[in-house]
Amino acid sequence: MTAALRCDGVSFSYGATAALAGISFALEPGERVALLGRNGAGKSTLVRLITGLLHPAAGTVWVGDWETRGRGPDALARRVASVFQHADQQLFASTIRADVEFGPRALGLPPAECARRAAAALQALELEPLAHEHPYDVPPPWRKVAALAGALALEPQLLVLDEPTAGLDRTLRALVTRALAQRSAAGVAVLVVTHDLAFAAETLDRALVLAAGRLVCDAPLGALLIDEARLGSLGLVPPAVATVSRALALPSAPLREADVARALASVARSPRPV
Amino acid sequence: MAGLTFADVRFWYPATERPALDGVSLAVAPGDVVAVIGSVGAGASTLLLVAARLAPRVTGGTLEGVVEAVPAGIVLPTPWTQSSGMAFTVADEVAFGPANLGVTRDEIARRVDRWMARLEVAHLAGRDPATLSGGELQRVILAGVLAMERDLLLLDEPTAELDPAGAALVWRLIRDLARTEQKSVLVATSDLDAVPDFATHVVWLDKGRVRAAGAPAAVLTADAIWTSGPGSTTVAGLWRRAGLAAPAPLTVADLLARVR
Repeated sequence: MTAALRCDGVSFSYGATAALAGISFALEPGERVALLGRNGAGKSTLVRLITGLLHPAAGTVWVGDWETRGRGPDALARRVASVFQHADQQLFASTIRADVEFGPRALGLPPAECARRAAAALQALELEPLAHEHPYDVPPPWRKVAALAGALALEPQLLVLDEPTAGLDRTLRALVTRALAQRSAAGVAVLVVTHDLAFAAETLDRALVLAAGRLVCDAPLGALLIDEARLGSLGLVPPAVATVSRALALPSAPLREADVARALASVARSPRPV
Repeated sequence: MAGLTFADVRFWYPATERPALDGVSLAVAPGDVVAVIGSVGAGASTLLLVAARLAPRVTGGTLEGVVEAVPAGIVLPTPWTQSSGMAFTVADEVAFGPANLGVTRDEIARRVDRWMARLEVAHLAGRDPATLSGGELQRVILAGVLAMERDLLLLDEPTAELDPAGAALVWRLIRDLARTEQKSVLVATSDLDAVPDFATHVVWLDKGRVRAAGAPAAVLTADAIWTSGPGSTTVAGLWRRAGLAAPAPLTVADLLARVR
């Protein structure tokens, strides 16, 4: 099977400032992957390379069997949809529905198909009640979710999201988790740049960690989050679920909230050792 | 005097019928760090804009009630819209605020050094702000606002762009500024896990009204905060979901003390 995304020895510099060096990894269809690392590690640069906003100075980025070289973001948009870090500024239409429909329209799809895709995306993120609103009349976190709906409406093979939960409350974060799980189950590969390891623990399965422009870790997310020493050496801080799971030595080291709560209930209710 | 006082404040954005703030009263005294929490759209950002007198002055709209505030520094939730766009280096960006207050050249230099060091961005001093990552820029914007050395700080999601280590640095700094320099701090945040560690008080806003206000341990353990509010800390959520006896612990340390 062709990987949804493959980077082979990818390097990039901004002028004299090296941003990424020798990055190699692949994402299979349906994989849900966290791209982690400190501020300035090169995460957003990698996103720009994958979406065709930048092209590698060395190495190759493959989206499916397409090389990104020679293709711009408009051409790649048939396969990869992205939501920027500053997604609340990504909207420009006069209603949220029109904004969500813009992507499929730009792909040249028939109006009925554009409307169907927009409706499905709005429904997946419970945005229907706001669909008639002007994007800039709703609070920035909802705008961010609307930008995600626009990406979903492209029905891509690869979704690339840069900090999708920053500023979102618990309810909106849960919507994002559910929507990504649905798309992943349908075979869409998901790559999420995030500092929100609680969201990552709830939503994603594999971790890629960048440090100073290099890929320093590629591991199952659960194993990484429970390994405090490894996390520390990567400059990451474990989320509360992982700390609780580890400190109480919960059986099979759960990380999703529902699983941690269930294990916590049995531990807290069992008689204390004398 | 208090750094900030609201008495029965109502605020409407232009051409809206429902007030964004609907009878809000609160006080932030020197040494207080008041966390404003709420679901999206509850009014937290509006509260800060009114406190900074940007609303209605810049936003338009109608204000009723009494707002008393000493001059404030405000950090907006979107650092890329707050950068001056007039500085070619990070050091100039941090200097922009104090330079506009008319402080002396020596004093500007002293403040730039001091706040770049405290936000740990001194190594970026010569960089073009437009080339920074989101998290780097957020620290630089914070340094620039703190360099104004105002007594009232209004911070809207000041850690949204930061990695966990950067967020921890900012929360520690905010707590220290209140404790040691007697700043009055009002901070809107969705990082509820951090609240028990840095906030002296919590205000829960719901549809423009204060639903609850008080110590973090009181506000964040209310059952209603789950059913009709933004929720509480991860640990409190685990406790509640496990069906264990209230009041829930708020932090990992509290939880371990209860279970072990």
